[in-house]
Amino acid sequence: MLSIKNLQAKVEEKDIIKGLNLNIKPGEVHAIMGPNGAGKSTLGNVLSGREGYEVTGGSVEFLGKDLLDFEPEERAREGLFLAFQYPVEIPGVSNLEFLKASVDAVREHRGQDPLDSVSFLKLAREKCKAVNLDQNFLKRGVNEGFSGGEKKRNEIMQMMLLEPSLCILDETDSGLDIDALQVVADGVNSQRSVDRSFIVVTHYQRLLDYIVPDYVHVLANGRIVKSGGKELALELEEKGYSWIDEEVV
Amino acid sequence: MTEEINELIKNEYEAGFVTDVESETLPPGLNEDVIRFISSKKNEPEWLLEWRLKAFHVWKEMDEPTWAHVQYPEINFQDVSYYSAPKSMDDRPKSLDEVDPELLKTYEKLGIPLHEQAALAGVAVDVVFDSVSVVTTFREKLKEAGVIFMPISEAVHEHPDLVKKYLGSVVPQKDNYYAALNCAVFSDGSFVYIPKGVRCPMELSTYFRINEQSTGQFERTLIIAEEGSHVSYLEGCTAPMRDENQLHAAVVELVALDNAEIKYSTVQNWYPGDAEGKGGIYNFVTKRGVCHTNAKISWTQVETGSAVTWKYPSCILKGDNSVGEFYSVALTNNFQQADTGTKMIHLGKNTKSTIITKGISAGKSQNAYRGLVRMNPGAEGARNYTQCDSLLIGDKCGAHTFPYIESKHPSAVIEHEATTSKVSDDQLFLCQQRGIDVEKAVSMIVNGFCKEVFKELPMEFAVEAGKLLEVSLEGSVG
Amino acid sequence: MTEASTQTLDYASQALSLAQSVEGPEWLSGLRKDGQQSFEGHAWPTRKTEHWKYTNLSALNKQNYAQLVANDSVALTDSEAQQLYLIADLDAVQLVFVNGHFSETLSSEIDLDSVEVVRFSQADEDQRSVISDNLGQITLNEEHIFSALNAGQLDDGVLIRFLKNKKTETAIQVVHLTTAQSQSFSVNARLLVVSEAGSQGVVVESFVSDDASQTAIVNSITECRIDDNSKLFHYRLQLEQEDAIHIGGMHVQLNAGSQLESFHVGLGGKVKRVDVVVNHEGSGAHCDLKGVYLPKNSQHIDYHTCIEHKVPHCTTSEVFRGIIANQAKAVFNGRIHIHPDAQKTLAELNNRNLLLSNKAEINTKPELEIYADDVRCAHGATIAQLDDNAMNYMLSRGIGRQEAEVMMSFGFINELLNGLAHHPIQEKLRPILADLFGKDDSLTRHLL
Repeated sequence: MLSIKNLQAKVEEKDIIKGLNLNIKPGEVHAIMGPNGAGKSTLGNVLSGREGYEVTGGSVEFLGKDLLDFEPEERAREGLFLAFQYPVEIPGVSNLEFLKASVDAVREHRGQDPLDSVSFLKLAREKCKAVNLDQNFLKRGVNEGFSGGEKKRNEIMQMMLLEPSLCILDETDSGLDIDALQVVADGVNSQRSVDRSFIVVTHYQRLLDYIVPDYVHVLANGRIVKSGGKELALELEEKGYSWIDEEVV
Repeated sequence: MTEEINELIKNEYEAGFVTDVESETLPPGLNEDVIRFISSKKNEPEWLLEWRLKAFHVWKEMDEPTWAHVQYPEINFQDVSYYSAPKSMDDRPKSLDEVDPELLKTYEKLGIPLHEQAALAGVAVDVVFDSVSVVTTFREKLKEAGVIFMPISEAVHEHPDLVKKYLGSVVPQKDNYYAALNCAVFSDGSFVYIPKGVRCPMELSTYFRINEQSTGQFERTLIIAEEGSHVSYLEGCTAPMRDENQLHAAVVELVALDNAEIKYSTVQNWYPGDAEGKGGIYNFVTKRGVCHTNAKISWTQVETGSAVTWKYPSCILKGDNSVGEFYSVALTNNFQQADTGTKMIHLGKNTKSTIITKGISAGKSQNAYRGLVRMNPGAEGARNYTQCDSLLIGDKCGAHTFPYIESKHPSAVIEHEATTSKVSDDQLFLCQQRGIDVEKAVSMIVNGFCKEVFKELPMEFAVEAGKLLEVSLEGSVG
Repeated sequence: MTEASTQTLDYASQALSLAQSVEGPEWLSGLRKDGQQSFEGHAWPTRKTEHWKYTNLSALNKQNYAQLVANDSVALTDSEAQQLYLIADLDAVQLVFVNGHFSETLSSEIDLDSVEVVRFSQADEDQRSVISDNLGQITLNEEHIFSALNAGQLDDGVLIRFLKNKKTETAIQVVHLTTAQSQSFSVNARLLVVSEAGSQGVVVESFVSDDASQTAIVNSITECRIDDNSKLFHYRLQLEQEDAIHIGGMHVQLNAGSQLESFHVGLGGKVKRVDVVVNHEGSGAHCDLKGVYLPKNSQHIDYHTCIEHKVPHCTTSEVFRGIIANQAKAVFNGRIHIHPDAQKTLAELNNRNLLLSNKAEINTKPELEIYADDVRCAHGATIAQLDDNAMNYMLSRGIGRQEAEVMMSFGFINELLNGLAHHPIQEKLRPILADLFGKDDSLTRHLL
């Protein structure tokens, strides 16, 4: 699915990712944990091709193609989905028209016919229900005036609609209370399948109680410094991150 | 990102062709003889000629206004031709069959079929080509409802009392420099009269086209809505692409008597000049309506054309409980300059006004909102709400807001808000991450930004406006 | 009546001839000449002058002006005078001018090692060069007719120089006291504040008068140069009474990383007009500008503010509120101008007004002029009466309507007072403002 080799990247002239390796097979869930400033969010932004994030070395292969060759929208159409930590508001553009434009673009890329408005609306309503969002959210501006939890649920709903191959969840648990976390996690879990992989980026172990990973990686100073099974997350929770530094040194 | 945006906003003006019709055009220049010529050409009664001449003398004493946030070389008013008409119009055609086929083709090309069977269902059109009205459709059908819809040059003869009573009653001759000029030389325009209690059975529409070179267009529109009546009126305009600047100085007067309602929508797409700022229309327009008791006037405008726009559709809220509205989208690109807004003059009790404007600046353009809200001493319980938003695309353009807010009544409430924003990289990235390309994303964001105004437009125009915006923005994004 | 006072003389020509007869330090004569020349080149403002659209200066024309009145015609005792401007509990030193004359007895001995305070006429060589280098550089004669006139009439002034990397806790208070005289006279006041890099200081400008019937016209121009990473707290308290005429300006240059916190209060007068111009000249500067205006009776007051964002990454927060009573008239013009290079600017302006009577009038004009795209700017202006819901709530709790009105009006202004960094100034202003809203103690007893 995804093969990252010796990836290096910088933001505003500062090296953030410094030789990162990661292999993800279809159906796997990888958690990436690490202290603040380790480069966790940068990884998601680099993979999705955000402007300002400059790749200075290494390679990324996604479904057999060189991911770094693609524009951001092409990466999305190829099946890479980033659930943002801070979803942006777009006043005046309704969620519904935004979603339709997005789904149409992805479907066209896959050689599928666009959905007619009626079936799209039906589908969108279904997904709304799945993440416990009121249908009125479809009519409102994109993320406009949404609470933190609503924005995150909106992200998961978009993920459900676009049916990507690889989902990157960037600190999706930040700012969520327990109930909202449960809804988001249920949404994610319902999307797990043999041909869909996940990268779950988080600072805290608690999200991993709900979305149980196959692998846990610790990212520190732009590199993966330790990998293990889901028990590694518990260890991190207990001991904090400082011991990692010591162990690595 | 800005570069990509700029790439996307390159302008293509689709209405820029010239129609080859034989015209009778006065040589450039303005004096009393020219005014007499125009008047006699239209067989006008003596009083109207006198009225024109009086306006001309007023105009000569006035100075061109300089307060607007626009810059253009001084206009030599002697270089403009004040009358041009297709020769075929010498004897006004009695029916569509007699209209020059070249003219009909012109309008078909612009998407305005004039044959009634082919026309947009439910829209009656008056077509003004340079200085004359070419044709007015559905006149018979409107007559049945008692609605008068005809060129103002005909109304002068057929309904002299109405014209005499209301012409200049809202925008007096000495109101401003361009209005005075219009009074002196106006050529044609539309006249609408809706009788008491009548709801006009169809949308009325006037389509203005400047075709001839070196010609100014000075049309005059007068709409009278009698007590309890209702009318929705649309106005569209285009001109060929020419390297010279052409002058357009129109006057629109609306009279909404007690309990009447007038909705006036404009899609202004005069030629804006090319990407280097060469050519384009100078659009100096005075539009004003007066509202009597419980009456309502609603202005909606989508301004994408003209090299320079100077335009403030206004409402005088004279009667108690009357309502004024102004919804505007003004888009400027390349070297366009717009100074546009509204005036809401609250005289009566419990009068209400709403102003929603969306200014979009791209390229090297300058886009200014200028508005006046005035609560006079009698405006007890009056309310105004104003929201002015600006969107900047690229870093070479300007967006400005100049609201004048005056209140002389303690119970009047005024709220004014203005914001400015850009099409942000974050917004574009979110769209891209969801698979939407930059051009589509910008168009979605701009359309979203304008939504509040578009929803005020009649259906046919809303679609046209959205498309127009897309075309005008082509090549502006990044 | 004397023969002269029966004529209507125009102020502009009087002012110019007064200027030409000024005797001041020789080293300032160049500035004076420039000012006079510039003033002559200006057209006298009328209603058609955009920046004077709502303020009529014809009241200035009806008088004969003397340059200065003699100092001995002051009917106040020293302690009566001090009562007018001293701010209890404020750590401050004063420079006091009475009818334009420096008062040795009322002014403090100033001996602080972090700041130099000196009159132009007493300046040493070094200070003179600071004055020459800066005076007239921050306010431009060609843009402001009354700055030109002020320069043209320049006889003296005050320099406050906060020294590099030093913090001055003691407020420097410059007081202009005018007293009622039998003849009209003009006062020319000039203040130059230089906050050197890394310094911090507090300046209070107080304008007070002894009596309702004033005969002075005060033209007071202040220039502030705020250097890198320094901070200036500035208060301009215009508390002159009823008939005062005051035209003035405060012009600021903000250099990189500097901060200005400026507060203005203006009671109305026959004609009052203050221009506040802040130029962001260095990245990372912040301007916090607040003001209240409270005209009553037939007074007129006009605040014109202009924030020039010339460089990137600067911020402005501006709030002005006004309450206009009786037949008074207020004008507020708040301009924010973002130059093409000023990317990443954050600027906000909020203006709120209450009209208390059928005859009161407000003209407000918040303006945005923006030439850079990556900026966040907003302005809002409201004109309203007191909130009905709040009024009903108060009434339902047994508070009388009149008292509720006073409480709410006062609260409207008090919100801004509460934000002031120097509490003694809040305490000084509260009773003055409370007094303005209701002479009856029972109505204002909760406010103090």
